[in-house]
Amino acid sequence: MNKHSSSIEGLSIPENLLITPTYVFFLIHAMQVGVGILGFETYIAKYAGFDAWISILLGGLGIHVLLWMIYHILQDSKGDIVSVHKNIFGKYLGGFFSLMFSLYFLLLTLTVLRSYIEVIEVWIFPELQLWLFTFVFVLIVYYFVKSGFRVVTGLCLISVILALPILLLKFFPILEGDVMNLYPTVDHSVGEILRGTQKSVLSFLGFELLLVFYPFIKNPHASKSWAHFAVFFTVSIYLITAIVSFVYFSEGQLQYVIWGTITLWKIVEFPFIERFEYIGIAMWFYVVLPNIALALWAASRIPKRVLKIKQKYVLALFSIILIVVCCMFTDRQAIDKLNSVTSKIGLYVLLYIPVLFVLSKIMVKVRNRDEA
Amino acid sequence: MFNWLKKKKGKKDNRDTQKELLKNKQQEQSFQGLFELANHSKDFVVYHHTGRTKCVLSYYKTLSGSKFLNDSILPPLKKHTLFTLEDIKEKVPVENAYITNDLKKIKENITQGFVIIRLNEKDEEVLLIPATKNEGRSISIPEVEYSVVGPKEAFVENLDQNMNLIRKRLPIPELTMREVSVGNLTKTRIAVVYVDGIANNENVNTVLQRLDDIQYDQIIDSSFITQMISDNSNSPFPQSLDTERPDRVVGTLVEGKIGIVVDGSPHALTVPTTITEFFSSSDDYFLPWHLATAFRLIRLFAIFFSVLSTPLYVAILTYHHEMIPQELLATISSSRADIPFPPILEVIILELTIELLREAGARLPSKIGQTIGIVGGIVIGTAAVEAGLTSNVLLITVALAALASFTTPVYQIGNTVRLVRFPFIVGAQMWGLIGVSMCMGIFLGHLMNLQSIGRPFFAPLYPLRFHDLRDAFIRLPFNQQKKRPMQMRPVHSARFNPELVKGKRDIDE
Repeated sequence: MNKHSSSIEGLSIPENLLITPTYVFFLIHAMQVGVGILGFETYIAKYAGFDAWISILLGGLGIHVLLWMIYHILQDSKGDIVSVHKNIFGKYLGGFFSLMFSLYFLLLTLTVLRSYIEVIEVWIFPELQLWLFTFVFVLIVYYFVKSGFRVVTGLCLISVILALPILLLKFFPILEGDVMNLYPTVDHSVGEILRGTQKSVLSFLGFELLLVFYPFIKNPHASKSWAHFAVFFTVSIYLITAIVSFVYFSEGQLQYVIWGTITLWKIVEFPFIERFEYIGIAMWFYVVLPNIALALWAASRIPKRVLKIKQKYVLALFSIILIVVCCMFTDRQAIDKLNSVTSKIGLYVLLYIPVLFVLSKIMVKVRNRDEA
Repeated sequence: MFNWLKKKKGKKDNRDTQKELLKNKQQEQSFQGLFELANHSKDFVVYHHTGRTKCVLSYYKTLSGSKFLNDSILPPLKKHTLFTLEDIKEKVPVENAYITNDLKKIKENITQGFVIIRLNEKDEEVLLIPATKNEGRSISIPEVEYSVVGPKEAFVENLDQNMNLIRKRLPIPELTMREVSVGNLTKTRIAVVYVDGIANNENVNTVLQRLDDIQYDQIIDSSFITQMISDNSNSPFPQSLDTERPDRVVGTLVEGKIGIVVDGSPHALTVPTTITEFFSSSDDYFLPWHLATAFRLIRLFAIFFSVLSTPLYVAILTYHHEMIPQELLATISSSRADIPFPPILEVIILELTIELLREAGARLPSKIGQTIGIVGGIVIGTAAVEAGLTSNVLLITVALAALASFTTPVYQIGNTVRLVRFPFIVGAQMWGLIGVSMCMGIFLGHLMNLQSIGRPFFAPLYPLRFHDLRDAFIRLPFNQQKKRPMQMRPVHSARFNPELVKGKRDIDE
């Protein structure tokens, strides 16, 4: 930790803080699955109806392409987003763009945190003491981020292992559902399916954090396949989730369901326990925690790299901002607005990646010609 | 725990601390002063030997064996006429006797049970003859880590005897023992044992370094060392494994771990350790692998049950009644109908009662302890339910949780499991299941942060080491354990040569 913060450049990361390529799988997968999966079915079915599974596949394909681009960008610069920006836009403009990314990650943190708290408010504790809960939650996140990237990575690993068994619960709605709901297949226009794709891509946000933690990977080249595997895995889980929801709900019914997945947990019943959504939401804590911790880590790391200030100060500042702003959102409309704003910005970020890709390729070309 | 001590004392070394602790510095510095100081004690004998050889013998009679003195030292003095210490040394049939005038050495040895021989009371040159009498209990069967099958030896308090138990089981010259002495006053001998060529040098150096850094006046037991050399002394989790079984120590030495044996303590420590090691018992290796695996998993379940059952009771009955199916709800509500307290109070009362019983049982002599257990368990339990203070369901849960916490094979982690559930109960009372999740999240973070001698404590879960998982929650057969655990970074990792293992035969061969 000490060595880590003393290297001001930040790119010479000590060997013992690096992670093996396998963990890239857990990092990316854990970051992609968040609160979104609890209720994304409604959004994607809005346009593409029950053909939305095609949208998910298309969206997944798009993510694979973007991931490929990100790896190219990072390999060309051999650093993280800050060095990429510095190379392309110069010190000041590049630094500005990097800080924008930092704010974007902070916004991501805020959105995930507030959405999860909203789920708790709606489903479990309508009279939750918002500030106290937020304070404790952020304190836990702070503890994790302060422990460093390795521990955050470990958290991602644990989160994936803990969340996987929850997938087995999908079995119950399949028993009750009606496969005929899926027919007729493909009765939506290409435009509608593409609009659904746009919505589904937003569910896969989170892989762009690779732009920040790339220098922490021990053998970056070997991590490529793991990263793609992670995206593939996420897409599969989203696909299964969506199809199970489509089988269970009718198209008309789904429009009025806000949290499809949680609603499906409600029907799970064992002789000793029922209303599984309580356990599901409690277990989802482990899914949300690495999400927030990793995003907050990335958000606080960028200013350290750009402005050369200690990460712990940035982290403390961001944590306070998080608590304060989180408590300011009190009603459903405001949270919904927050979600749609974040989605919009997320979309811009996704569109920005190809731009960055082209720019960095041009840079490489120009530099090569200069050297030749 | 002792960090603040280190900081306060700063750079003062051993001797300075001692000066503060012992005011008799002046007396110690001179030869006569030393004897004067010793003479204050009734058991320090200064014996003027007359007859053929005239000399003065001085020793602590409680430390040196009088039989040894009569048998080996006095006869040659009586038989021969000797004039120099050299001559005496020649005639006395004892190994390692030596002549010196080094005050420090004399002082060190006299308190270890050496006999000092001087020709004249004023002489500063002395002959030191080792005559230490070792009194201690004999080797008995392990009581804390009892196992039905397998070896039935346990360590005793004597370091040399313990080393003998280890060496007997590992007859190779590579088994190395380094010795340090720690404790400004107790000067406790501490042996660091490892197998040269398997154990990682970095680990050995870390252990020696940490032992050297210890600044404290007394080391009474190996548990002092556990706390002082731990990476995070504020953690409720012990970061070195303590065991009273020589076979277990040898098993870990062969894996590349390092043993720390403390004189005066019947428990040896092994480092580096992991969280999974605390839940594995030596019995696991004496049973066929599938049975051992099943029992390990049962034990793992027991730990989770022990920690989580009462918090879940609080969470569900306080906030999530909907989760209880209707048929079960009738049972629970009828048993809770007369209880005047909310679940949290009910749980805390009962948990504290159990802790009280356990503490009382541990402090009392074993015969009375049993009675207390029965009185507490049956009488108080039934009475509490009949009086309507707690519900039947909770009584069963708490009793099972207590029982489950006894399944931990290592006593130290059992204590941790006992106490760790209380934060969970608080979490459950605050935010139900979410609170339990949050509490677990904090503990996960803590465990991932922990290190044992610089090696991750939460391995093989994180960092994920598939190979080490073969002997963690499950135990695969011995022929599957081809390599030593990666955790210790052993110099040599192959346990055996797989090529020499016979291949599988075909049918009817």
